[in-house]
Amino acid sequence: MTSHPDLWELPAEELARRIRGGEVSAAAALASALERTARVEPLVHAYLEIFEEAARVRAGEIDRSVAAGKDPGPLAGVPVALKDNLNLAGHRLTCASRILEGYVAPYTATAVQRLLDAGAVIVGRANMDEFAMGSSCESSAYQETRNPWDVATVPGGSSGGPAAAVAAGSVALGIGSDTGGSVRQPAALCGVVGVKPTYGRVSRYGLVAFASSTDQVGPIARGVRDAALATQVIAGHDPMDSTCAERPVGDLLATIEEGIAGMRVGVVKEIDVVLAAQAAAAAATTPAAPAAPAVNPVGGEPAPGDMAASFRGALAALEEAGAELVEVSIPSLEAAIAVYYVIATSEASANLARFDGVRYGRRSPGAASLAEVYFDSRSEGFGAEVQRRIMLGTFTLSSGYYEAYYGKACAVLAQMRAELTAALGRADVVVTPTTPSAAFRLGEKVADPLAMYLSDVFTTPASLVGLPAVAVPSGLDGQGLPLSLQIMGRPFEEATVFRAARAFERQVGWQVAPRFRGAEVAAS
Amino acid sequence: MALTTEEVRKIASLARLRFTPEEEAALAGQLGKIVDYIDQLQHFEAGAPPEAATGAAASEVPPVPLAPIVPMAPMAPMAPMIPMIPPPALLPPLPPISRAAPEDDDVPRPCLPREVFLANAPAALDGFLLVPEVRRTSTADTRQVPEARPGVGDDQSS
Repeated sequence: MTSHPDLWELPAEELARRIRGGEVSAAAALASALERTARVEPLVHAYLEIFEEAARVRAGEIDRSVAAGKDPGPLAGVPVALKDNLNLAGHRLTCASRILEGYVAPYTATAVQRLLDAGAVIVGRANMDEFAMGSSCESSAYQETRNPWDVATVPGGSSGGPAAAVAAGSVALGIGSDTGGSVRQPAALCGVVGVKPTYGRVSRYGLVAFASSTDQVGPIARGVRDAALATQVIAGHDPMDSTCAERPVGDLLATIEEGIAGMRVGVVKEIDVVLAAQAAAAAATTPAAPAAPAVNPVGGEPAPGDMAASFRGALAALEEAGAELVEVSIPSLEAAIAVYYVIATSEASANLARFDGVRYGRRSPGAASLAEVYFDSRSEGFGAEVQRRIMLGTFTLSSGYYEAYYGKACAVLAQMRAELTAALGRADVVVTPTTPSAAFRLGEKVADPLAMYLSDVFTTPASLVGLPAVAVPSGLDGQGLPLSLQIMGRPFEEATVFRAARAFERQVGWQVAPRFRGAEVAAS
Repeated sequence: MALTTEEVRKIASLARLRFTPEEEAALAGQLGKIVDYIDQLQHFEAGAPPEAATGAAASEVPPVPLAPIVPMAPMAPMAPMIPMIPPPALLPPLPPISRAAPEDDDVPRPCLPREVFLANAPAALDGFLLVPEVRRTSTADTRQVPEARPGVGDDQSS
């Protein structure tokens, strides 16, 4: 086999074009991706399992299809990493949890089937926070994934594995799920593009449920065009998911290069207040963090002003590209975390009732009665963060507290929906930073769940309201770690969001080139 | 508001989880801190009750201008039930995921074949899920096991 050492660097769109045209083989593209993976995986630990043999078989099928004069599709031969909560028939799936040890997917998720129908080659299942609950990948029961930009920092979460795999060059595309920011936040921390499509845009059939009113499947890519291409492939109605909308997807790439001259970009005026509050909260909690004595002199502490400055720079770039900035107000932004952690944990406590040691997954070996099967399997099988969220959700739904918490959260959510709807009436898209800071250090927030939750302040509103949102790299902070701009749009107007994201990407001139700081490797 | 370990134990029983006394104490602190944070919701709107409200006070929240699309109200966790399994003779093979027009009618359609479903079961016998007896026959239980007695923890199952 001819070696093509640079194929892993190609965007998915270009790689598929060459494979469809017979210029290169899917087998060679896979070999390049696997070589790159072998090199970076010991540093990043993005995967829970690599489907090497199955991927080779699949790549061979794609090549035979091309040789027979057929078109395998827009992702022909493109290596893709799946978050470990998407079913692929015949392969293991754990949600990074002990309770699903040994589980084998009995069917294939619709989003994954659409990738396969478009010619993609699934190379493995990537690490995540257990049951998608976390913002750092540290709640995985199996391994810690590292950020390719600095291996002492987290990749973000919960889709940290796919984001790290894409940033490290292992695959051109990762597919994750986003419930409160779980695609956008890790994409931001790893310096890649992450998409949370409109609620109802992509089928969740075959995605393990966390919070059903916000769960959405979304891609991670090194560029906006690839992100739009992958969204296009997985989107569209599916009778297997009754929340999946019967609306045409359209061609998301058709208008993507049209620029943003004259586009009205809404700037949320409460951002500085929220960033200042977050910096104050971080300053208050940092001394209590267990990792505080071991501050890495290379990494140091993030400068709280970095994100505010970066955001101002991003706004200037949008203006230079021709956008008209308009101020919008989302007063409920301050309450987003509180609303989200009530609604998401309430739904999670119900959704995760199905993991009971009876039908699938791990059963506690010592259980002597049915009640013990439930209690022991769940207590032994779920990790600390999942148990904490089930407890919180059970509390907020329990008699005497339901109205005060769940009912109140729904009322504030209605207000947030009204505010965002009004903002998106005045503006075509609304922008915020994706995260309040760049990647934080491994272990920094593990002991303080609330500090971890606050990472999601800017991503939760689009999840709660169901809007499409794209995270696009916006530059580096003072420590050389990526920062990101979030662009939100009107429901089902992904094309507009991608157009703005692509214009911003061009203006910034971003290159995904992680340096693997802290590990001795040449990343080129 | 700090949660008491008694409250933690009650919630754990509802959630079918069990903790050691040390874990209960840690959870009481952690959950208390998170609940303190989400208590800001009580103050969010003008005219909202200053204290954590019971159902009556919270229901006086003024209506919002837009018709809110409230997320699916989740049910409280309940004792998991064994799903009904149709006879094998009625189960044709699972078709490939349809890309065709959506189904308009609420009609029965094939579901996961029994043998495929049971392949993931921790224990099965003659095509059924196998579990230990529902009621324990042994006597004393010295661990902190909240028993799933009828009427305890199942009060929200409707």
